[in-house]
Amino acid sequence: MTRRRASQTLVLDDGQVCCSACGHGLVPIGQSWKPRARLSSVAVASMPGAGLGIDQRLELRLFTCPACAALLDSETALPEDPFLEDIIYA
Amino acid sequence: MDPITFSIIRHRLFRVVEEAVITLKHVSGSAITNEGHDLMVSLYRADGSLLMGGVGFLHHLTSAAEACKAVIRRFQGQINEGDIYLLNDPYTAALHTSDIYLVSPIHHNGVLVAWSACFVHVFDIGAMNPGGFAPDATDIYSEGFSSPGIKLVAGGELRQDVWDTLLNMVRGPEMVALDLRSMIACNNVARERTLALVEKYGPETFDQACQLLIAQSEQRLRERLSELPDGQWQSRQYVDVKGTVHRVVLTMKKQGDRLIFDFTGSSPQSKYSINCSKWASIGGLFAPLFPLLCYDIVWNEGVIRPIEMIAPEGTIVNATRPAPVSVATVGAIQSVNNAACSTIGKMLAASERYADEATAVWHANHFAIFMFGNNQKGNQTIGILTETFAGAGGARTFGDGVDVGGEIPNPISRMANVETIEATFPVRYLFRRRLRDSGGPGRYRGGTGGEMAIISHDAPDGGIDYVLSGKGTKFPMSDGLGGGYSGSSNDYVWIHAPKDGRNTDRFAQTLDGITGDKEPISWGVFPLRGDDVLYVRWNGGGGVGDPLERSIDMVRDDVLGRTISDEAAREIYGVVLKDGKVEPDATAERRKALRSARAGLEIAQ
Repeated sequence: MTRRRASQTLVLDDGQVCCSACGHGLVPIGQSWKPRARLSSVAVASMPGAGLGIDQRLELRLFTCPACAALLDSETALPEDPFLEDIIYA
Repeated sequence: MDPITFSIIRHRLFRVVEEAVITLKHVSGSAITNEGHDLMVSLYRADGSLLMGGVGFLHHLTSAAEACKAVIRRFQGQINEGDIYLLNDPYTAALHTSDIYLVSPIHHNGVLVAWSACFVHVFDIGAMNPGGFAPDATDIYSEGFSSPGIKLVAGGELRQDVWDTLLNMVRGPEMVALDLRSMIACNNVARERTLALVEKYGPETFDQACQLLIAQSEQRLRERLSELPDGQWQSRQYVDVKGTVHRVVLTMKKQGDRLIFDFTGSSPQSKYSINCSKWASIGGLFAPLFPLLCYDIVWNEGVIRPIEMIAPEGTIVNATRPAPVSVATVGAIQSVNNAACSTIGKMLAASERYADEATAVWHANHFAIFMFGNNQKGNQTIGILTETFAGAGGARTFGDGVDVGGEIPNPISRMANVETIEATFPVRYLFRRRLRDSGGPGRYRGGTGGEMAIISHDAPDGGIDYVLSGKGTKFPMSDGLGGGYSGSSNDYVWIHAPKDGRNTDRFAQTLDGITGDKEPISWGVFPLRGDDVLYVRWNGGGGVGDPLERSIDMVRDDVLGRTISDEAAREIYGVVLKDGKVEPDATAERRKALRSARAGLEIAQ
């Protein structure tokens, strides 16, 4: 299978969803890749530009490549909410 | 059919809509129509299906089609040449009661050949709060006049009884009358120009061209969808009202030449008026779809056919009567806009061919602030602060978003000049400017939103009041793309002037410089009197890509241009500046530390 684009930061290669920066394979195509990424989070309220009324529990989730630390995606979410799942079909 | 004739008819239909919009604006006297471009004009087939979508708020294109179909069902056998029908019931087709549809049948030699439809947000609709947005409403019955379809003009003659009845139920009836007359004029022009086209080419050729136009749009969208990767993409929007958090959850699935928008998992319908009906949600998802996927395809029924929507009944995106919906356009509908924009952006970003068309979410959070009261000319006045239409561009995969750059669902939205507002309302602007640190960080930054502050001025009653339907202070709503962060959230602050009048600066230039107790507000009716001030900041667009990959020079330029702060440069972009100059070694260290912190290797200092 040829390497093809899966998102701004991910590619599909050899049956895997991979980091486009280093080629590290995360999961087989068709599966959710975020559980296999490294996750860190920041309180949105602590960031420059945060509004006066911002929800104190809101977090910015940063999903990075476990091999090269490239940022793969981000999402803002309340802690109890699941990851947004973006999946390319085989 | 002859391709030259087809092209001429296609372009002529574009021009018909364009001329009708110009007519609407020439007759209308309200800032929301002329400045904010909160309007829409489109043409429809004899069966009510969309033929030629026009500009303005695009979520009305499909809803007005449903309005035409509802009128056809209700008035079957009684639809005559020269009739004009009014419909504004959200549970029949409209988005909310204050966005009135006027739909006109177009007959040729006694045969119905097409419809024209338009809307404006009328001056008032008699809801419990002036201006149409009714944050205090508990049900549709308190949201003003609502018609599932009524004949306003019969055979070219205005039905005075209907006209008088409607105007008897609204504030500022002379302004509502002007709104309605602008729509009548608009439809008359659309009808006359369409008829001229039918006369010139004959009804058979016209019909053939319309069928081909729709078939062509369907084919072209299906081809485009087939070029895009199959998959599913998700988005989630938080809508907060008075401490209650609602969710609009979208899973968009693309399979072959079909696109399915599934809102399963969205919150149950709310007691607050942010809900929307099924028709409104359909319109909401098409508003970004038209410009993002069909920028070179005629917006008509053919574009609608490959699309399916799943919206469970009883949820915030498919509310059931009598749930209140008057704030829908800036509530659930806008969140549907945003969620669809986000998922479509992700899908485009997954395509080699279309990645350059992808965008983060633009201006995701309207603030509907309607001021009402007596103005300096002694007139009753009601009107929106049009800054809500100023917007903020989402970043693209190749460049920054446009500062105060409008919005996706209304490609022609804009705000009025400060002087226009000051001439209409007894207020004075302390300042209005781009908002620093509001654009979503990213390799490509989201466009900034703005901030403004107003104070009462020359008010015969000592001030004015305003209705605020301001969800979105707790959660940023302009999502980023490909690692880019969201744009900032909105804020609304009522600054209570010191009672003794001391230290009051009536020319303060920043929020911090305004003296008095600052009370965050978001929902309800509030006064603006004496030396009190209303401060508003609105959201920026989402960013694209990793902020740590943004060019150091671009970050420096953003700081020097007051687009971002020194703090944001250091904490988000990892760029350290001293006296406006980049510190290369400190910047390299800072970026390394921030990357390491993300990877969990060490804590950034």
